[in-house]
Amino acid sequence: MKILNLALANIRKGKSATASLFIFVLVASLLLNIGLMVVTQVNPFFDDKVDQLKDPHAMFVINKESYHPSRSEYLEDYQGVTETEKEDVIHMENSTYKYGNGELNSSAVIFNADAERNIGAPRFIEKLDSPGTNDIFVPYSFKTDGGYQLGDQFTLTSQNKDYEYRISGFFETTMMGTNNIGVMKFMLPETTYRKLASELDNRSEALLLSVIMEDKTESSQLSNDFMKEVQLSQKDKAGAYIFGLDIEMVKNVNTLTINIVATILVAFAAIIVLVSLIVIRFRVSNNIEDGMGNIGALKAIGYTSGQILLSIILQFILIALCASGVGVVLSYGLMPLFGNIISSLSGLIWVQKLDIFINLVSIVLIVFSVVIVTLFSAYRVRKILPVAALRGGIQTHSFKKNYFPLEKTGGDLHFVLAIKSTLANAKQNMMILLIVIALTFATVFSAVLYYNIGSDKTAFVNIFGAEPANLMITVKADADIKELLHNIQQMDHVQKVNIFDLIETKIEDQIVYTNITDHYNQLENNIVYEGRQPKHENEIALSWVVSEQINKGIGDMVELEYGTETSSFLVTGISQSIGNLGQVAAVTMEGIQRLQSDYTGTSLYVYLDGISNKDFVKNVQNQYGEQIIETLDIDENIESQTGMYTAAVLALMLLVLLITILVVVLILYLVIRTMIIKRKKEFGVMKALGYSTLQLMNQISISFLPVITIGVALGGVLGYFFTNPMLSVLLSGAGVKRLEFTIHLPIIILICSSILILAYIVSLLVSRRIKAISAYALMTE
Amino acid sequence: MTKTIIRTEKLCKTFSSGGIQQHVLKNLDIRIVEGDFTIIMGSSGSGKSTLLYAISGMDKPTLGEIDFAGQKLTKFSNDRLAIFRRNHCGFVFQQIYLLDNMSVLDNVLASGLLVNKNKRELVKRAKELLLQVGINENSWSKFPTQLSGGEAQRVGIVRAIINNPKILFADEPTGALNSLSSKNVLDVFSEINRSGQSIVLVTHDVNTALRGNRVIYLKDGVICGDLQLGSYSDDDNLERHERLKEFLAEMGW
Repeated sequence: MKILNLALANIRKGKSATASLFIFVLVASLLLNIGLMVVTQVNPFFDDKVDQLKDPHAMFVINKESYHPSRSEYLEDYQGVTETEKEDVIHMENSTYKYGNGELNSSAVIFNADAERNIGAPRFIEKLDSPGTNDIFVPYSFKTDGGYQLGDQFTLTSQNKDYEYRISGFFETTMMGTNNIGVMKFMLPETTYRKLASELDNRSEALLLSVIMEDKTESSQLSNDFMKEVQLSQKDKAGAYIFGLDIEMVKNVNTLTINIVATILVAFAAIIVLVSLIVIRFRVSNNIEDGMGNIGALKAIGYTSGQILLSIILQFILIALCASGVGVVLSYGLMPLFGNIISSLSGLIWVQKLDIFINLVSIVLIVFSVVIVTLFSAYRVRKILPVAALRGGIQTHSFKKNYFPLEKTGGDLHFVLAIKSTLANAKQNMMILLIVIALTFATVFSAVLYYNIGSDKTAFVNIFGAEPANLMITVKADADIKELLHNIQQMDHVQKVNIFDLIETKIEDQIVYTNITDHYNQLENNIVYEGRQPKHENEIALSWVVSEQINKGIGDMVELEYGTETSSFLVTGISQSIGNLGQVAAVTMEGIQRLQSDYTGTSLYVYLDGISNKDFVKNVQNQYGEQIIETLDIDENIESQTGMYTAAVLALMLLVLLITILVVVLILYLVIRTMIIKRKKEFGVMKALGYSTLQLMNQISISFLPVITIGVALGGVLGYFFTNPMLSVLLSGAGVKRLEFTIHLPIIILICSSILILAYIVSLLVSRRIKAISAYALMTE
Repeated sequence: MTKTIIRTEKLCKTFSSGGIQQHVLKNLDIRIVEGDFTIIMGSSGSGKSTLLYAISGMDKPTLGEIDFAGQKLTKFSNDRLAIFRRNHCGFVFQQIYLLDNMSVLDNVLASGLLVNKNKRELVKRAKELLLQVGINENSWSKFPTQLSGGEAQRVGIVRAIINNPKILFADEPTGALNSLSSKNVLDVFSEINRSGQSIVLVTHDVNTALRGNRVIYLKDGVICGDLQLGSYSDDDNLERHERLKEFLAEMGW
């Protein structure tokens, strides 16, 4: 009780110091708790959703014509399958619709909303009460990310034909519910469904086979086995198609960005926790120094060092416990913001659960760190003798170095005095240095992230393995693609045109999406990070995912199968691509012609300059429309696909920026305030000697400038050189082996200058407190 | 012909605390003459330090006027007062108040460089003054904590006079020193006064008061007595002592 009273008395004595410490611990615990909750809850959240919605663990869309009952039998008999279902669906191979800020191109699987089903029955989040004649139900991501509201018009374009609908409901789905899977699920009421089915050709008639398994982690294996089985028997059937999704794959894709955001959040929380611990160390040291007389008195009356140490630790435990408790509670207030980001990224409603365990982990981690830091800082209390403590802790004369003697140092007096002050407070400045480095790095890091994901998306799009052309033109089979390429090349505003196809092939029995082009050196995005792209007809580049799956690397031979032909290729390079789940390879046009001699390619990638994509599409359709199946605005497609990432990263960047400003302001407030209190006598004397308030304010502000400048410069340099390696490490789990985000030096310089100016202004403002120190009051104290 | 440096008119200083007003200086009219070594004495709470800080521009009076060498101090802003102090006043404090983080020489220069931009000349003067008060070269790079109280106070005096102030103000400069150190410090004051430096010094120590040529006695914020002692010399110490004792007895000391 005595110890508790001592601790409480110490807290009462230093109210403002307690308050600033409270804020730091609060922010640290708030961020840590959010980060930990997001990281630990994302995977169970997705799994729980699959169970709640009773979504399939694996599903396959197969064209009705080539379906045989043995397919369903295979699935029913597969080990671990507990339930299967088959239903009619409409499959649009290429559909386009507005999504977010652009137009999205994907496959569309359209369900009959009124059909009876046990697996994947829609659960509506919102639904219009009054049914109309052209209603459509869309995944919830259309609302969170696509920019749609109930009752909005929705145009689905397929094979150059527009289908107009009214959005009548949003449903949750874990399968085919977001724009990053390449296929989107829609539902139509029975009459509308029948009407659409009657307007489309036979090829769009498809069947959906849904499977539920005992253990959903085995869904990938089932999917692979089933696809192999079907493709083997469909080899000779012209027009037959099948594609499948399994829940493990979809979960990986959907939670990828959430995990990246959460990892960055936790990393930033760690920086803030570190900053808080440095501040706590500073506060504890000051606290001990300020209370040295009291410590001496307590020791003199018989308190042991252990009791005094305990009272100091208890004081900081009490502050840390209260602050981290409040931080954890407040984190639930901020979680809806992250819940919205998660909803936007996953198309699923985030339900915030109370996670006592994680909350306790956050609190214990923070309090434990505070105890350790306090113990380290306060341990010297044990060694101080009562008499020394009563003298204010001075055991011997402290012989300091007189930095920059005024006699020998040139320059402005106030500047020299400021620098002397900087050097005289080396320990405190080391703390500020570390904090400024950490915060500048975090700000540069988040700004680079935002610049590359929110502003100039080239580097971000590159990591997906996409080729950043402006337009893709799909050419009719009977057209002469070489001639069309030549003709388009001659059109105004065309920089260059490449044949660039993506075809489904098999490498060593694995399904792999293979790029085809004439010359890889004409592409803008070289996704090969080791070795090189293929140049000759017998060469192939594999993604690292495929390379690891088939255990083949550079210099090895692999079997590439396309259609009915198979041939050997030499691996010349390893590439990275998050797109197509990393199942990517690349061969030359001559290479694919070894397997299909009449292969000429079907897609042209057009790079434009000085014209809008829409205007160019009009021109090209006018001139060569009869040779073209369809055009895809790649910029729009990228825009609509990356919108959700932009929003998530923008939120993250704003958070980092806000906290950086808050911490810089708080740190300077804390340090300068403490400094003014400690040096009150000195400032009073200087005022008596004739130094004006402004001169002293400038001296204080300038004394922080060297350390802040060095911190900002080091943070900027670290940000410049280590943002890409650090992001690569963070994204390595997502398949990114090499990352080259654009880092603009002017942006870094702008950030560093802004932090510097902010620090200077804040220190000037905080040092205004010096005005209140009157030389007279000091003398008459 | 004597020249007045400071003239006050109906100088009042009132402190308020918890709604209670305390009138520390009451309509004081005082004249400080150039070249004088003026001593302000009085019992505790008589207002002597308050008077010192008011006439030196360290504090602002509640009412009244202060004319310092033709300048109306009461009309000055805080910053103008700071500039005024650096140009015209020197201060020596009981607690000495040297800047802990600076060497002896830097303490003197930190004050001198505010006014004198000719560093070479200033450093020369600082060193001469330090030698003059008995602080030799070995101590110039020492920090205040490495000096004795007497040494530190003598550095304090050099710091106060480095800018050739019109008046040197001292508030109980020997209050924290032992008798030997006090004597050394007072010798320095006497010496610089002899060289023409005007001094106003607050003390309650008779031996210190003996150094002045004029003693003003304050009681409850009012001047009760004003004694002219003549210039100090070691030879007439006894007679001065007697006159001062008489004066103080008259004042009820």
